[in-house]
Amino acid sequence: MITSLHRIMVIGRNTLTEAVRRKVLNVLLVFALALVASSVLVSQLATPDLDNAGLFDPQIKFVKDFGCGAIGLFGFAIALLSTAQLIPDELEKRTIYTILAKPVRRSEFLLGKFLGIVFLVVLAVALMSIAFSLSLYWQEVRAMAYADSIYDVGFSNFPEVVDKVHRYEAEEAQIQARGGDAAMQTQAIRALDEKYRREEAGGGAAKNSVEEETNWERSKDTVEAYDRDVRQIHDQIRDPQLIEAILLIFAKLIMSAGIALFISTFATSSIFTIVTTFLIYLIGHLESVARDVWLQRGAEVTIWQSGLLGLLSLLIPDMNSFTIVDEILAGNHVPWTHTFDLLGYAGVYLVVLLAVSIVIFDYREI
Amino acid sequence: METPAINALAVETIGLTKRYPLTWKRKVLVALDHLDLQIRPGEVFGLLGPNGSGKSTTLKMLLGLVVPNEGVARIFGLPPDSLAARRRVGFLPENPYFYSFLNGDETLRFYGKLCGVTGTALEKRIEELIDLVGLQNGRERPLRSYSKGMLQRIGLAQALIHDPDLLFLDEPTAGVDPLGSAQIRDLILRLKKMGKTVVFSSHLLEQVQEVADRVAIFSLGKKILEGSLDLLLTESRDTQVQIPGELDSVRQEQVCRLLGQAGIDPAGVRFSRPRLSLEQLYLRTVQTQPGVSLRDSQPRP
Repeated sequence: MITSLHRIMVIGRNTLTEAVRRKVLNVLLVFALALVASSVLVSQLATPDLDNAGLFDPQIKFVKDFGCGAIGLFGFAIALLSTAQLIPDELEKRTIYTILAKPVRRSEFLLGKFLGIVFLVVLAVALMSIAFSLSLYWQEVRAMAYADSIYDVGFSNFPEVVDKVHRYEAEEAQIQARGGDAAMQTQAIRALDEKYRREEAGGGAAKNSVEEETNWERSKDTVEAYDRDVRQIHDQIRDPQLIEAILLIFAKLIMSAGIALFISTFATSSIFTIVTTFLIYLIGHLESVARDVWLQRGAEVTIWQSGLLGLLSLLIPDMNSFTIVDEILAGNHVPWTHTFDLLGYAGVYLVVLLAVSIVIFDYREI
Repeated sequence: METPAINALAVETIGLTKRYPLTWKRKVLVALDHLDLQIRPGEVFGLLGPNGSGKSTTLKMLLGLVVPNEGVARIFGLPPDSLAARRRVGFLPENPYFYSFLNGDETLRFYGKLCGVTGTALEKRIEELIDLVGLQNGRERPLRSYSKGMLQRIGLAQALIHDPDLLFLDEPTAGVDPLGSAQIRDLILRLKKMGKTVVFSSHLLEQVQEVADRVAIFSLGKKILEGSLDLLLTESRDTQVQIPGELDSVRQEQVCRLLGQAGIDPAGVRFSRPRLSLEQLYLRTVQTQPGVSLRDSQPRP
């Protein structure tokens, strides 16, 4: 068992080395360029919308959509093209003979090759995610700079004002946390408010107590609005749900690679594998749409339609359920349990696919 | 169960047959037709025959790469597709291609690990094999920059990485220059001295003659002749005598007369000068050139 895993690992590592040395990952440079271009584009096209509650919503959403879309697209290209060539290359160059003449089972060869593709996709998705994070970080810096530039109008030293209001809020929270008599608390907060109002800050020197009051209230309101916007920017950019999105994209890529491997165990050319995998990918997206349309008609579903749907869903993976990524990108909450369900579905599908591939490959004349 | 028979033959086939259906022509191609073969441990066995006569198919079936339609094959008494059999077998395919992105050392390391050789034992083995096949200049170079001869030699090294008892070499000298193929021939002789069994196919009959103990000749998927080279090549019952120096016609007549006195019919006596083969001439010329070391082509003790 251990020696078997060792051999799978050796073949997997060799497959990854091959892809890396053949500079497959260079295509990611195009990905990086596309990301930079999209960020620059969005900064030029869209002007931040002050009136809306979410200051940078459309821009940040665009960058997230574009980033995740590009990871999916480039990942799909890398996974599909590399997997489709795995077996034809080995057969054509007859390197497969040298491996299978060694004490290596065919199943180990196939699993090793697939493991290499998994390594490759992990590496590619990791590198793209890093680039994606950097582009998001850049958006955040840009958004923060813009927020600063909007809110500091009328303040001689806005950061100091922000600092002052934050200190006030912290002390206020302390008082509230202490608890005790409600009347005492109100009095303490009023005293605190008085103290801060008098404190000279970036709000400009007050000529009288009325102006003092106005300045302080304006400071509090502005910083509150500013904080709300900053929080929104952070919430959107540092969204932990993006990890779910990337995991789901990865699962979809590995499923696509699994389909390509399965087809290449009996295909005679890599073009056939690529085209067929692509078709299955498309059908996998349309399958649930067809199901929805037919099921909406209720009683009209014929036995043929339901039979066809049943067969399709058995043979072709439901790729459309992975479009839940769009929900995540739209800012809607997708629970981790749902993500784990989908990952589990991908895992089970992959195990079945690999098992069938091994059986077919075992019988193939090479 | 994969229990090896004691004192088993290195290779044994009984009625081994491979047919390929040509569906579009509604015909069946018989690549190998009921082959019976027995090769003893320690033998050097040559498979001869024109292209398409079934030599490569035989080797592939002996490696478990191709499944026979009929008959059985055994390697040291084991089924060829068992891991136990393949642990004892090394294979050099015809026109070998390896992973062109790996260098010489990496190639051997990869195949070694597949055979379960690891760590310092593997590194030591790589040193030995690089030395054995004379590839010191190819260790760090990617295989895509290798010459044909270098590819054959790295192919031999990978076939030997796990120290197998039996070697299958498919056209080991095809496309290699005469010096390179002489080196491969010497290597086969060295392997024989080490007690290995070598089964190889070749079109270069003179080389087969120099190394093989026994040969089988194939044609159209059938074995048509098999036997020891000594027996097969010893022609009639004539005797050849070799004398130093030239014989002019006068002395030739004297020799004929003397033979006549011994009761030999002078009409059957032929005089000729021994000739070098072109290969011998070539090797002798090239090897005495500066820069070509004899060490590379001579088997080391």
